[in-house]
Amino acid sequence: MTTFETLRREKTDQELWNGIRQGDEKSFTLVFDRYHGTLYNYGCKLSASSAVVEDAVQDVFIDIWRLRNNLTENVTSVKFYLYRALRRRINIGQDKFPVTEEITFIDDHEVPASGTNSETIFIEGESKNILEKRLQGLIARLPERQVEALTLRYFDDFSIEEIAQIMGVNDKSVRNFIYKALTSLRQNREFILPTVLIFCLLWFL
Amino acid sequence: MKYDPYSLTELIRNDDFIAWVRYPDANNEARWQQFLSENPEKRKTVEAARNYVNILSEDTGKNLPSIEQTNKMWRAVESHLHEENVAEVKTDKIVLGWRWLRIAASVALILGISSLSYWYLAKPGGAANEVGLSEVKGQENATIEKVNDTTKPMTILLGDGSSVVLQPGGRLSFSAKENQKKREVTLTGKAFFEIVKNSERPFLVYTDGIATKVLGTSFLIDAPENSEEVKVEVKTGKVSVFALNRNSTMEEREEAGKPELKGVILTGDQKISVSRQSGKPVRSLEVAAEPEEMDITRQLFMFDETPAAEVFSALESAYNVKIVYNKDVFGSCPLNATLIGQPFIDKLTVICAALDAQFEIEENQVIIKGNGCK
Repeated sequence: MTTFETLRREKTDQELWNGIRQGDEKSFTLVFDRYHGTLYNYGCKLSASSAVVEDAVQDVFIDIWRLRNNLTENVTSVKFYLYRALRRRINIGQDKFPVTEEITFIDDHEVPASGTNSETIFIEGESKNILEKRLQGLIARLPERQVEALTLRYFDDFSIEEIAQIMGVNDKSVRNFIYKALTSLRQNREFILPTVLIFCLLWFL
Repeated sequence: MKYDPYSLTELIRNDDFIAWVRYPDANNEARWQQFLSENPEKRKTVEAARNYVNILSEDTGKNLPSIEQTNKMWRAVESHLHEENVAEVKTDKIVLGWRWLRIAASVALILGISSLSYWYLAKPGGAANEVGLSEVKGQENATIEKVNDTTKPMTILLGDGSSVVLQPGGRLSFSAKENQKKREVTLTGKAFFEIVKNSERPFLVYTDGIATKVLGTSFLIDAPENSEEVKVEVKTGKVSVFALNRNSTMEEREEAGKPELKGVILTGDQKISVSRQSGKPVRSLEVAAEPEEMDITRQLFMFDETPAAEVFSALESAYNVKIVYNKDVFGSCPLNATLIGQPFIDKLTVICAALDAQFEIEENQVIIKGNGCK
């Protein structure tokens, strides 16, 4: 279902970007208006402190305005630019090392880019409501990087390549994060069901 | 087991599938419906995969900022749009340009020492707290001073998100280091304050003999340097005004730092003139007249008694849509709203609620219908 937002001819990112480079305050305001919300949402996956995230979001936009004369001419995606800037900023603030180290630990056997068993057994009849309740708790407990990747993929609609550049890792790592996350979300259930059954059996014996 | 490209996990990870679930259009709808009709046994898997994708996107997208947060962030960003007149302060670093430093050094030493020493005396246990107060040069315990020697109002942002619009000729100073128990500034001249609410940390403005205390509110203080009177005018919230000078006792100073409001208390739209010497009101409490335009200049999406015609026009140019409405009925209806950061539909909803109207969307047009404000 197409939304109104996609129907009308909104000023494109490129148009607004040009506007900012020329010092047009309205263009800048519109970019803030359009992106600060999802940017903040992303920031919350990088830091638990809302103050840190707010400051970082502010700083990203302030810097863009301050350096407007030196912005690159062509930008395919303002959103992409913003997200990378935010991540750099929050990482600097928290003294985190860039996480390129994670790539080396990926084991090819663990994570097939293709080739999974079909798991029709556990999905039949699971309504959205039940699934929702189950997943919400699980998603919250996933490792940070996996939540980050999931957010960039399923909420922010970035491609794997874009996510890789935002997170500072390679494509494969991104796929791994997502694959591991999805596996955890499924596995927890598979684990619970037999466990519950066994427990019940023992109880009644 | 054989690899199945349409297994649950594969679907969830599939670009095209995700695009279909999130942004269905004629194209991908046709493709996936065809897939389903050719593979009816996959219906349940597809259904489950859709659920996963939807839940993932909803759950990872639930940290959007509140309206207050948006406004707070925008205020901070927006103040940088008018760079010549803006000074921004973070409590973890002191921003001092070189030119400003030279001017500030002389101004601060000559004029600042009196306010600094007042500052020193006004704090309870002052001697113990203020190490190195006389140096205004970028040490952690130093005082920051902002002077408005321009002809336009100067917006100053404080570490807690509060903002001060300092009128030309005014001077505002405060400690570089944030105090856990209270927020304090010293003012000479005229300024409009918008203070973030914090019921645990009262905000105090010292104006040579008179102190004004709030927890969170917006108000104006006019404390010219050589005047006997200090005027305080409250726009929103609650403000207490009392005497605090060299003769104040330790007890009085401690009271000042607590969240309770004592002394003369003003609420919204009240104003008062207080004598510096006695700390008592010169006249009785008055109702403030409609405050003069404080030059919070009209910003895109921030409307203050703005006629609806202007609001619609702003939306039209920002969103590239035509808004059709009856100018006689709606044109001059005044609107107060801060709509920054809200999606277009939400903006329309808020505006129509204020105008007692409804909107309809047709292709590239928005049609407003209703009774207006007359």
